[in-house]
Amino acid sequence: MKRKIGLALLAIAILAWAVASGCTRMAGGAGGSAAQKTYVKPGEHDTHYAFLSGGHSGQVFVYGLPSCRYITTIPVFTPEPAKGYGYDEESKAMLGGFTWGDAHHPGLSETNGNFDGRWLFINDMPHARIARIDLKDFTTREIYGPIPNISAAHACPYPTPNTEYVFAASRFSAPVPTNKVAKVEDYVKDFKGVIAGIKVSSEGRMSMGFEILMPPFHWDLSDAGKGPSHGWQFFTCYNSEMAHDTLEVKASQAEMDYVAAVDWRAAQKAVDEGKADMIGGAPVLNPEKVKGIVYLVPTPKSPHGMDVNPTGEYICASGKLQAEVSVFSFKKLMAAIDAKKFEKEIMGVPVLAYDDVLEAKVPVGLGPLHTEFDGKGFAYTSLFLDSQVAKWKVGTWEVVDKIDVYYSIGHLSVAEGATMNPTGEYLLALDKLSKDRYLPVGPSHPEGAQLIDLRGNKMELLYDFPTYPEPHYGQIISASKIKPLKIYPLSENKNPHAIKSAEEARVERKGKRVDAYMVAVRTHFTPDVIRVAAGDTVYFHVTNLEQDIDITHGFGILNSNIDMQVEPGETKTVKWVATAAGITPFYCSNFCSALHQEMQGYLEVAAAGTRIAGVQRPPKKQVEEVAALLRRR
Amino acid sequence: MTRYLLGSFQASERRWIVVAALVLLPVFFLPVLPVWTMKLWAPQYPEGLQLTIYAHTIKGDLDNINTLNHYVGMHKITPDDFDEFRYMPQLLTFFGVMALLAALVNRRWLAVLGWLGFTAFAVYMFRDYANWLYHYGHDLDPRAALKLEAFTPPLIGYKQMANFKVWSLPGPGTLLLGFAWLLGPIVFWIERRAERQSAESVAKTVGVPA
Repeated sequence: MKRKIGLALLAIAILAWAVASGCTRMAGGAGGSAAQKTYVKPGEHDTHYAFLSGGHSGQVFVYGLPSCRYITTIPVFTPEPAKGYGYDEESKAMLGGFTWGDAHHPGLSETNGNFDGRWLFINDMPHARIARIDLKDFTTREIYGPIPNISAAHACPYPTPNTEYVFAASRFSAPVPTNKVAKVEDYVKDFKGVIAGIKVSSEGRMSMGFEILMPPFHWDLSDAGKGPSHGWQFFTCYNSEMAHDTLEVKASQAEMDYVAAVDWRAAQKAVDEGKADMIGGAPVLNPEKVKGIVYLVPTPKSPHGMDVNPTGEYICASGKLQAEVSVFSFKKLMAAIDAKKFEKEIMGVPVLAYDDVLEAKVPVGLGPLHTEFDGKGFAYTSLFLDSQVAKWKVGTWEVVDKIDVYYSIGHLSVAEGATMNPTGEYLLALDKLSKDRYLPVGPSHPEGAQLIDLRGNKMELLYDFPTYPEPHYGQIISASKIKPLKIYPLSENKNPHAIKSAEEARVERKGKRVDAYMVAVRTHFTPDVIRVAAGDTVYFHVTNLEQDIDITHGFGILNSNIDMQVEPGETKTVKWVATAAGITPFYCSNFCSALHQEMQGYLEVAAAGTRIAGVQRPPKKQVEEVAALLRRR
Repeated sequence: MTRYLLGSFQASERRWIVVAALVLLPVFFLPVLPVWTMKLWAPQYPEGLQLTIYAHTIKGDLDNINTLNHYVGMHKITPDDFDEFRYMPQLLTFFGVMALLAALVNRRWLAVLGWLGFTAFAVYMFRDYANWLYHYGHDLDPRAALKLEAFTPPLIGYKQMANFKVWSLPGPGTLLLGFAWLLGPIVFWIERRAERQSAESVAKTVGVPA
């Protein structure tokens, strides 16, 4: 008997071992439990990047999917000492004096309607700015704006299928130009909405294309037409009531608000033909005078989400105070425009008939906010009030599945779901509230997100994770499309202040301006003693000579607001004013090596007016010693 | 034997000499085929660091390796430090030309002389390489941050050095050179066998013992 039990136990053990060993699999493989589907083995990589906007943190958060691991933060509109962003002269200038932004909508650059992995655009709503992040190094390289005449760019940036344009539209209507003195009660007469098309060059540089004067509604979200609808940009709005106070009541009365359809080629042509008025430094088109550039389609009840399906045929608007998604047909829209079948004009903008353009109404549920698509002909709509995601079929317009999320979902993101070819494996639900989902941390709760598997017929909740305030929207891209640099090649460093060896290190002064040309390499700065006088303005130009992966050097000055992070092969410049005489140490603030603690130096500040040599070089002997402390035969 | 050495080549023998010459002429491998590679791994370098030695220079993660080596006070490794890179390509070319010349003037002794010279050269280069490795591992800066026991990196094979695992292996260049070198004895052996066989067949027909 005992022997039998022993044998049975052995059999169970063998079976358990077989099952366990049979479960070793690639990251995010289909089949298995939710835990297995999100488990990425130590040392392995995720298959997708998720770029989540950081809301009023002003940043972008990067996550790996399916593991939902936080990877990094890309500082965009807010200074970030961890990466030295907003401290060195270049990034400080880019921030333009603002220390916060409200980053809502990441928009990955596209080629032929597909994510190409070059850049990520993101808007700063309150300051009407658009940033461009280079995905070669996950670093913000350009901040365009504030865009003139736009009060808060919410419907932004929403790149077109070949990244010809990114867009902005005013969430708050205001007088144009914005410095015009006006009374709020003259809202209808004096206030205007504005839509702006910002051109993007092949290098990614942004420049003003055109602006269109719109009725003073609140312009909400946008999406680019693609395929047959390429060349059009669509916008939702609320407050077509044109209320200027107690908006929650007064802007929610009308049964219909609008979707605006902008023919951006026609708008650009009109500007190029000189039909625009220059207002606030931007070429503004007035639909009262210039026809054929913009149309309005009535849309039920304060629509929020504005989403064109992958084939570019259907334009879906989510009426957030209605339980339906209104689907418009681009064909019908064109037919109505060609037939000039307009119900009326609002401030020069022709209004089409709802029924002429409508294809279907999809009864998704309460509080529909945003829709994205997979590659199999399904659409997914977030339901704020129901705290759910609804899955529905494009074409038959049936709702086929629903799943609970936690709680109060805003935007959602399907893998490459905003493109012409969504990969559609995963959906990320971005929730406004998390309440009880995670370890409690007091009244300021984290936001929450859920990873949902879309590979089966039914949606499956895989993972639930907290996020730092406050992701509004995210975009998910296949990891294979992004090939970031590992280091900056020193040979390609063209910074005018770069020096490439300790022999070139020096401190130069002209009047009260001092330029220190420094190198950082494991584990010293050259020079490491710098003499200045009180009242001098010192520019430290630090080049990190490393060409080894992940060997960042910091440059922090004690009792100051100065800290830079210089990546391998990079040169950065920071300004410091020597206010008082005395000794001020500086040090490497990024742990770099075994002798990191020794990587430091002193700023010797003499009394104001002390005569100091025009050029200081570190002692020759020291340079020889530290020429990477490497002796030659 | 003397008769053999003073003789001229058979056609097949001559072909092989030309092959050896072409292999030796650096045109074929200098810029592309490394003669030696050393690869180093440490916990924080899972991708490994590589040193690749060519006949005329040394390439790879030199800067990173030098930066790391300075902690233990090793000499900086720079291509300029090695006179070998200045004479090695020329010498290889010289031996190649010598083999060609031997085939051209059709004299065996010239080929044998070249082969012996080449052998001496190879032995010298190995000795020299070993000396360098010894030098780098023993002549350490006394002021280095990390004091290590003197060591010798592996000439060929595997060794653990501090936190680094090191593999050192000949590259395709050396394999080709080895092939050219081996052609010497192989051809010699083929020829001797052929001669013996022809001598035997002559003896058979004439009816005298060979």
